[in-house]
Amino acid sequence: MWIFNSAFGKIFDALFLPFRDMSPWVGMILVSFLTGLLMLFVFKWTSNQQGIQKVKNRIKAHLLELRLFKDSLSQSLRSQGNILRCNLKYISYSAKPMLVMILPLILIIIQLNFWFGYESLTPNESTILKIKLAEDQNPLEAQIAVQPSSGLVMETLPLRIEESQEINWRFSATQGGMQEFTVTIDGETVTKKVAVAQKPLSKISPQKPDNNFLDQVLYPVEAPIKSQVPIKTIEIQYPSKSMNLFGWEIHWIIAYFVLSIIFGFAFKGVFKVQI
Amino acid sequence: MPNINRREFLKLGLSAGSLLALGSPSDLVTKVFGKADTHTKVLILGFDGMDAHLTNIWMNQGKLPAFERLRNRGGFTPLQTSLPPQSPVAWSNFITGLNPGGHGIFDFIHRTPEYYLPTFSSTKTSDSTKTISIGNLVLPLSGGTIENMMQGRAFWQILEDHDIPATIFKMPSNFPPVETKQKTLSGMGTPDITGSLGEFNYYTTEVTELQEDLGGGEIHEVYVIGNRVEAKLPGPENAFKKNQPESSIDFKVFIDPVHPLAKIVIQDQEFILQEKEWSRWRRVRFPMIPTQSVSGICMFYLKQVRPDFKLYISPINIDPAAPAMPISTPASYAKELEKEFGPFYTKGLPADFKAMSNGILDEEEYLAQDDTILEERKAMFEYELSRFDSGLLFYYVSSTDQRQHMFWRFLDPQSPMYDPALVHKHGTAIEDIYREADNMLDMAMSKADKDTIIMVMSDHGFTPFRRTFNINSWLKENGYIRLINNRRQGQEEAFMNTDWSRTKAYSYGLNSLYINLRGREGEGIVNPGAEKEALVREIVQKLEKVADPKTGERVITKAYITQEDYLGSQKEKAPEIIVGYNRGFRTSWSAPLGRITKEVFADNMDKWSGDHCMDPAVCPGILFSSEKIRSDSPALFDLTPTILSLFGIEKPDNMVGKKIF
Ligand SMILES: [Zn+2]
Repeated sequence: MWIFNSAFGKIFDALFLPFRDMSPWVGMILVSFLTGLLMLFVFKWTSNQQGIQKVKNRIKAHLLELRLFKDSLSQSLRSQGNILRCNLKYISYSAKPMLVMILPLILIIIQLNFWFGYESLTPNESTILKIKLAEDQNPLEAQIAVQPSSGLVMETLPLRIEESQEINWRFSATQGGMQEFTVTIDGETVTKKVAVAQKPLSKISPQKPDNNFLDQVLYPVEAPIKSQVPIKTIEIQYPSKSMNLFGWEIHWIIAYFVLSIIFGFAFKGVFKVQI
Repeated sequence: MPNINRREFLKLGLSAGSLLALGSPSDLVTKVFGKADTHTKVLILGFDGMDAHLTNIWMNQGKLPAFERLRNRGGFTPLQTSLPPQSPVAWSNFITGLNPGGHGIFDFIHRTPEYYLPTFSSTKTSDSTKTISIGNLVLPLSGGTIENMMQGRAFWQILEDHDIPATIFKMPSNFPPVETKQKTLSGMGTPDITGSLGEFNYYTTEVTELQEDLGGGEIHEVYVIGNRVEAKLPGPENAFKKNQPESSIDFKVFIDPVHPLAKIVIQDQEFILQEKEWSRWRRVRFPMIPTQSVSGICMFYLKQVRPDFKLYISPINIDPAAPAMPISTPASYAKELEKEFGPFYTKGLPADFKAMSNGILDEEEYLAQDDTILEERKAMFEYELSRFDSGLLFYYVSSTDQRQHMFWRFLDPQSPMYDPALVHKHGTAIEDIYREADNMLDMAMSKADKDTIIMVMSDHGFTPFRRTFNINSWLKENGYIRLINNRRQGQEEAFMNTDWSRTKAYSYGLNSLYINLRGREGEGIVNPGAEKEALVREIVQKLEKVADPKTGERVITKAYITQEDYLGSQKEKAPEIIVGYNRGFRTSWSAPLGRITKEVFADNMDKWSGDHCMDPAVCPGILFSSEKIRSDSPALFDLTPTILSLFGIEKPDNMVGKKIF
C-alpha cells in the first residue's frame, strides 16, 4: 500500500513543483484543467457516445412534440413519458463513466487535500501534537519520550486523556523549514515531520497513519507506523486553509469541482465528446 | 462608567433580529474618502478619565517626560468636563461641540416619562417588524435597527463636508457609528455579542455564594467526571425561533489527571492551557438557522485545575472580521484592521471590571487582561500613526479610566477598600497606566512632523468614591417620594412600590433628578411653571445642605438647575436637576435603577473605588497641546470649534464653545 501511495503522491509532487512559489490558484487551475480533461476522455472512452447522441436528439424531438401538441392532453402525456424514459436512458449511459471515475477521483481528492486543505505552522504560533496509543496502552503509564528537533519547543507537560488513549502536548516552532518529532516508546522509534513556514503551495501531512488499510487510504502522505510500535497515530494540528477569491473564503474542493466542470465543458467541443 | 447591578438592564435589547441589520460581503479594500491633502495635521490622543491633579503630580516628579515636553512646547491646563461628568455626556460634548441641551445625552440612563422605566441613553434598538412564522421558526423579512441617540453633528462629519480626511478610533458614544465616509471604529457603548455591555462566563466546581446570574456575568456549576468537563457557552438570543431562545455552543474540557493542564475542545478548535494561562482570541460561531450564524471572539482563562476547576471566558466580543452589528465606517474598516492584527477587542469597555468586582478575576488577572488590551491598542496606534499623513487622527484609550475606577482604593488610605497588603503589590497600577499613556504620547511626538498639531485630552478627571448616597431614599425620607407599602421598601427596582399620585420627584441614572410633572410623566402631579420652579429650588437648597452623618462632610457641592445651565434643542428633555457630588461621594449602587433602600448612606465596599460622576468642578480632565493655549479655562466643547478652526472651518451657529488657540 505504501509503495502505491508514495508513487501516486510523487505524481502530484512533480506536477506542482514549478508552481509552489506562486499563488495556490495556479496549482488549482492546473489540476482542475487536467481533471477536466481526464473526465472528458474517460467519458469519451467508456460511455456509449452514439447512444448519448441519439438519446439527446430524441429528448429534443419529444420536447418539440410537447410544444406542438400542447392542446392535446393525451399526446402531451405520452411525450412527457417519453422524455422521462429518455432521461433514464441518458443517465444509464453516463453511469458507466461515473463509476469508472469515482475511485480515481476520490484518490485525487485525498491527495489534493494535503496540498490545499492545510496551512503550515507559523513560527511562534502554538499548536498541538497528539499521539494516540495502541489499545493495550495506558497513557498514564506509557514509557514514551518525545524529542523535538531544534526548531521546535515543547510548551507544556503532556496532557493525558485516558478515555481516548491520547497524549497531547502544546508546542510551537521557533524557526521555519521542515522540523520533526522523534517519538520513542518501548525501545521503538518513530518520527513525525512538522511543516513550518512553507511555500504558498505545499504538501502538509497532518497525520502519520496507523498500519491499517483505511487509515492508509485516508493519510497516504507518510509511511504508516509499523505494527510493532504501540502507537496508532501521530497528529499535528495544522490550521486549515481556504482559497481566497477577492476576499471571499471558499473551500478548495468547491473551487476544484467548479473549475474542473468548467474546463470539461469548455473543451468538450475540441475533443468531440458528447456529454 | 457606572457599575450597574442588573443584568436585565444591561441588555441593550439587541437580539439576532437586529443583528441581521448587516452582513455584507467583505469589501476588499477600505475605500479612502477622496479629499485634498491638508498642510496642517491634527493628532488628538484621548485618554479616558486622565486626571489633571494626578498628571500634574507625576509630571512634576519627572515620571511623565513626554507630557512634560509637550507642556513646555505648548501648554497644559485642566479641562472643564461636562455637566454631569459622565463619559457618554462628556464625549458627546466633545464630538458635537454642544452641551447636553443640544446633543440630548444627559446621563448613562434616561427614563420613559410615561411608564417611569429606565432606558439606555445612547442607543435605541428595534427588532424587525416584518416577520413570517413557519412552525417554530420566525423569519425576519427586514433587519432590525440600532440607532445612536446623540443629536447634532460629529466634528468629523463637518470635516467631511470640507473634504478633510479623518480617522476616528474608538470614540466613545459613537455606537452605532454616525454616518460618514471617514474611517471610524465605534467605542464605548459598543455591546458584546449578546447585546449586553459585557457578560463573562465562569465555570467552576466550587460551591459559591455568588448568584448564578450576577450583573455582568454568569456562573455555571460544572462537574469533573472522568477528567472531563462538559459545558455550554451561551450566546445571543435566536430571533429566528419563537420566544427567542438563547443560543449556545457545547464545549468540552479534558484535564490531565496529574499535571495542571486542560485541553478545551470547542467547535472545530482544540487548544491546551496551563493553569493561570490565557488563550489568544478564539472565534466561536453561534448557529441560528442552517444558513445563518453569529460570529464572536472570546478569550479563555484557566484559573485553576485542582482542587476546584475554574475556567473564565471573557465576554464574547463582536467579531471584527464578520461584525454582527455595525462597528465601523466604512464597514470594511474593522475587517481591514482584523486582517492586519487578527481579532481585537471591539466591546466598548474592554476590561472586565465586573469579573474583578465579583472576585472572579483577582487584581493580577485583571491587570493581565488590561495589559493585553493595551498591547492591542498600542499596536494599532502605531499602525494608524504610520499612515497618518493628512487631516485628523483621533485615538482613544479606555484603560486609564477603567484602571482608576478599580485601583483608586490603593491610592486612598481613607477608602473602605484600602488594603495595605495589596497596595504593596498593585499600588502603582494607576501610575503605570499614566506612564503607558506617556509612552504612547512619546511615540506620537517622535512620529509627528512640524506641521502636526498634537493635543492630548481627557473627558473628565477622577476622585475617590468612599461613601454611597441613595438619593431616592433621601427623597423618600424628605417626603418627595411616597411608597405604596412601606414595609416593602428596598425590595424593588424601577420604583415598583412607588405611589406616583403622591410622589413629587425621583431620580434615575447617576446624577439626574426629575420632577413628577403633570402632562409629561404618566402620573405627574406637579404643575409646570411656578409650582415646578419653586419645587426645584426647594430641593436644590435642601440637597446642598445634606451632610454625611458619619463625618459631617458636605455631600453635594452643587445641585445644578438644567434650565439655567443647558442650551439647545433638546433642553426640554433634560432632567430638572443634575446633582453634583463632593469628592468621596457618589450616588449609591442601587439608586440609578430606582431602588429605594432603607439606608441613605453606606460605605462603598466595591473594588470600584474611584469615580467621576460628581460635581464637574471637582474632577476636571486634562488638555495638553503643542500650540499655546490662549483660553483661561477651556472646556470640552471648546475643543470642537478649535479643531474646525485649525482647518479653516467656521464654527457652526449652534456650537456653544469658543476656540482656544
Ligand atoms: Zn469612568
